[in-house]
Amino acid sequence: MAGVPMPDLARKSRRTGLSPIVLALPLALFFLLCLSSGTFRSLENLANVNSQIAALMIASLGQGIVAISGGIDLSVGSVMSLTSAILVTADPAWGVPLALAMGVGVGLVNGFGVTLFRVHPLVMTLATMTFVQGVALLLHPVPGGAVPGYLRTLAVSQVAGLPAAFFWCAAAILAAWYLLGRSPFGLRTYAVGANPVSAGRNGIAVTRLKVACFVLCSLSAVVAGIFLTARVGAGDATMGNPYSLDTVTAMALGGVQLAGGTGSVLGIVAGVITLGLISNGMNLLGVSPFLRAALTGGLLLVAIGLQRREAIGA
Amino acid sequence: MISFDKVTKRFGSNLALCDVSFDCDAGTVHAITGENGAGKSTLMNLLAGLFPADSGEIRLRGKPVSPENPADARRLGISTIFQELTLLPNLTIAENLFLGREPIRRGTVDRAAMREQARSMMARLGSSMDVDAYCGDLSVADLHLVEIAKGVSVDADIFIFDEPTAALNAPEVEKLGELLATLKAAGKLVFYVSHRLEEIFRFCDRVSVLKDGLHVETRATQALTRDELVSLMVGRVLSKFFPARPARPDGAPVALSVDDLQVRDGGPTVSFDLRRGEIVGLAGLEGQGQRNIIRALSGLEPSVGGKVMKGSEAGPTPLGGDVVKTVLAGVGFVPEDRKTEGLYLPLSINENITLGMLRRLPVWQMVRGRHHVIAGLMRRLNIRSAGARQAVGELSGGNQQKVMIGRWLAAGIDVLLLEEPTRGVDVGAKAEIYGLLREFTNGGGAVLTVSSELLELLGLCDRILVVRRNEIVAELDGAQTSEEEVMRHALVGGAEDGGRADA
Repeated sequence: MAGVPMPDLARKSRRTGLSPIVLALPLALFFLLCLSSGTFRSLENLANVNSQIAALMIASLGQGIVAISGGIDLSVGSVMSLTSAILVTADPAWGVPLALAMGVGVGLVNGFGVTLFRVHPLVMTLATMTFVQGVALLLHPVPGGAVPGYLRTLAVSQVAGLPAAFFWCAAAILAAWYLLGRSPFGLRTYAVGANPVSAGRNGIAVTRLKVACFVLCSLSAVVAGIFLTARVGAGDATMGNPYSLDTVTAMALGGVQLAGGTGSVLGIVAGVITLGLISNGMNLLGVSPFLRAALTGGLLLVAIGLQRREAIGA
Repeated sequence: MISFDKVTKRFGSNLALCDVSFDCDAGTVHAITGENGAGKSTLMNLLAGLFPADSGEIRLRGKPVSPENPADARRLGISTIFQELTLLPNLTIAENLFLGREPIRRGTVDRAAMREQARSMMARLGSSMDVDAYCGDLSVADLHLVEIAKGVSVDADIFIFDEPTAALNAPEVEKLGELLATLKAAGKLVFYVSHRLEEIFRFCDRVSVLKDGLHVETRATQALTRDELVSLMVGRVLSKFFPARPARPDGAPVALSVDDLQVRDGGPTVSFDLRRGEIVGLAGLEGQGQRNIIRALSGLEPSVGGKVMKGSEAGPTPLGGDVVKTVLAGVGFVPEDRKTEGLYLPLSINENITLGMLRRLPVWQMVRGRHHVIAGLMRRLNIRSAGARQAVGELSGGNQQKVMIGRWLAAGIDVLLLEEPTRGVDVGAKAEIYGLLREFTNGGGAVLTVSSELLELLGLCDRILVVRRNEIVAELDGAQTSEEEVMRHALVGGAEDGGRADA
C-alpha cells in the first residue's frame, strides 16, 4: 500500500479510513522522538517498543475486524487476563489449547448474543468482560506462577537479530491483511459493517459472519494474552485490563470507524504504533504518568478531529 | 412457470395478502401493480425469500417452493432487484456486483476477473462507468443502474424488478426496456412491480392488479386501456387525477422572489418569482440542477450568489443559506427521501406533526398536547392509520408524505418546496396529495416543486420552468404546454447550444 498516490488514497478512504494524518502521525512521532531522545534511537529501545506494542498489535487487529463488521468488543482485555491465568494454572501441555478453546467460547457467546439475541455489542461484551474477569481472578487470584518454557522461548528469543515480538506482529498483520484485504470474508465483513440489511439481501449470511468476527477477535486476544504472559514470565489475572480500551483507542487513531464498514490493516498498524510511541516516548522523556494519560487523551481528540469523519452506510 | 395458489401473509393483525392465486408464464414480462399497501411488494418479497408465506403455495414449474432467504431464492433461480438500494457505499461497483459470489483464484478474490466481468455487465446497460468507483460516490440514478446490472447478471430464470425506474431518466428507462426485451426473448419470466402506467403498457405483456391484499385481475395489457387499469387499481374511476387549476389573477403578491441565484461557482444564475396561489414546477432531465436550486432555496445547500426574498405582509425578508431562518420565515421543505431527511420514523404521527408546531416556541416551554389540532389535520389530510399514536415508520408511503406535508401545514408555513411530491406514493394517495397542494395554494400558499415525473408536473403546475445545465431555459404555461414541448426544451434548450454536437 505504500507509495499509493494521494487521489487514490482519498478515494479509497471511504473504505480504508486512511487519511494523511493517520499515516503521518506515527512517522512524525518517530522522527520527533529520534531528535529529542538519544535513548529512543538505540536498537535496544526500538526492540523494546516492538515488544511493548506486540500484544496491543495482535489484540487490535482482532478488535479491528469486529469494528469493521460494525461491532465493538470490550472483552478483549479480560480474555487476555483469563488466558494468562489459564497458562500458569493448567497443565503445560494443555494451557494453550484450553486458552484457545476459551477464546472460541467467549467469541461465540458474544457473537450469538449480538446477533440472535440482539444485544448491543457494547452491553453484550461488557457483560462477558465482567464475567471473564471474574473467572480469571477466581482461577488465579494472586499474580505469579510459572510460564511453560517453550512459550517463554517463543516470546523473548531473537532470530537474525530481530526480537521474537517482531515475528508475532508480522504473522498477525499478515493474517489480518489476508483476511480483510484479500479474502471474500473480508469483502463481506466490510459489506456487513456498512449495512447488514443490504448485505443480507445480497445473499450474505450476516449472523454467521458477525459471529465469526467475534470469534476471531477473541482468538486474537488469546494470542495476545499468550505473548504477553510469556514475555512477562508470570501469570496475572488483571494483566489485560488496559487492553479493552487501548485497542479501541488504536482504532480511532488508525481511522477505523466504529460505525462499521471503514478501516484497514495499515490504519490499525499505524494507530497501534502511534499509541505505542506516545507511551514509550513520554516514558523516556520522563513525563509523569498522570500527565501522560491527559496528553494521550488530548492527542486522540486532535487526531480524530483531523480525520475525515463521514458516517457511511444507511 | 410460477403459480401462486391461495397465498396468504399477515403482519401482526394486518392482512397483507389474502388468498392470492394467479399463474405467470416464462417468456413474459408480468407487471404487478396496485396502490401502495396493496401487497405487491409483499408478494414479491415472498418470492425473494425475505419472509415465508403463512399459508398457500408458490409453485415453481409445478413444484412447491418456499425460499428461506435471498441466497436460497437465488439458488432456485430467482433474482431480485430491490426497490431500496442494496449496494454498499464502501465497496466499488465491481465488488458490489460480485458480493456474495466473488470469483476466487488461489484463495483470494480475483480482482482482475471481477473488474473485467463487471465492465461487460455495465456495458450491457449502455454504461461505461468506472467499475473501481466506490458506490458511495455515485448519483442515485447510477446506483439504480448498478443495482439492475447486479440483478440481471445472476444466472436466473425469474427476475423481479421492484420499482426499477423510480430514479432513472428517459434514456436509461429506454435501455431498461431493451434489457427487459432481451430477458423475455431468452425465455425468462420477469416480474415488473410498478405503478407507472406508461411503463406497464410499454414494457409488460400481462398485468396482475392487487388491491388491499386481494388479487383483483390478471389480464393481457393489450386488452386494457389506461383508465380501465387505473379503475382496477383503485376500485373507482379516476376521471380526474389532478385538481382544477383556478384562474390566476394577475399581480398576485410575490411569495418568493429569486434574483440571480447561483448554485455553482462560475455557473449560470436563475431568477424567477413564485406568486401566492400558484404551483410552479421545475422540469428537466435528471441532474440538470433543479434539485440544487430547490435545495439552495430551502437553505440545505449553500448557494454561491444571488438574492432570495420571502414576501410577507410585513414586507420582504431576505433568506439564504440557513434552514432554521428559512423555516422561521415560513418556507417548508419536503425532501425526496422523506424517510431519512424528513420524518422521525420511530415517533408517532402526533409527535411528528407537533415537532413542526414547536418551531416558534422557546425550548423550555412545556409541550402541551394539541390533539384536537392534530385530529382535525389528520381528518383533513385523510391520513389512514391505526391512530395518532402509530409510528410514522409503519405507514404507507402516501400516508407518510401526508404527515410530512401536515407538519408544515400545522407549522403555519405559506411556501412549500417539494422534491418528488409523490415518489413511492400509490395512485389513490397521489390524487389526494395533489388536491392538498391545490387547497394549500387556493388558501394563499405557494408551491415550488421538482419532479422527475413529467406528467405530474403537466397535470399539477400552473407554470413549468424547464431547467437545463443549471439554467432556466424556458417558462411554460402548465395548462397549455405538452410533454413534447417540455422535453424539447429540456433536451436542447438554451439557444447557443443548438449547434453543438452533444446537444
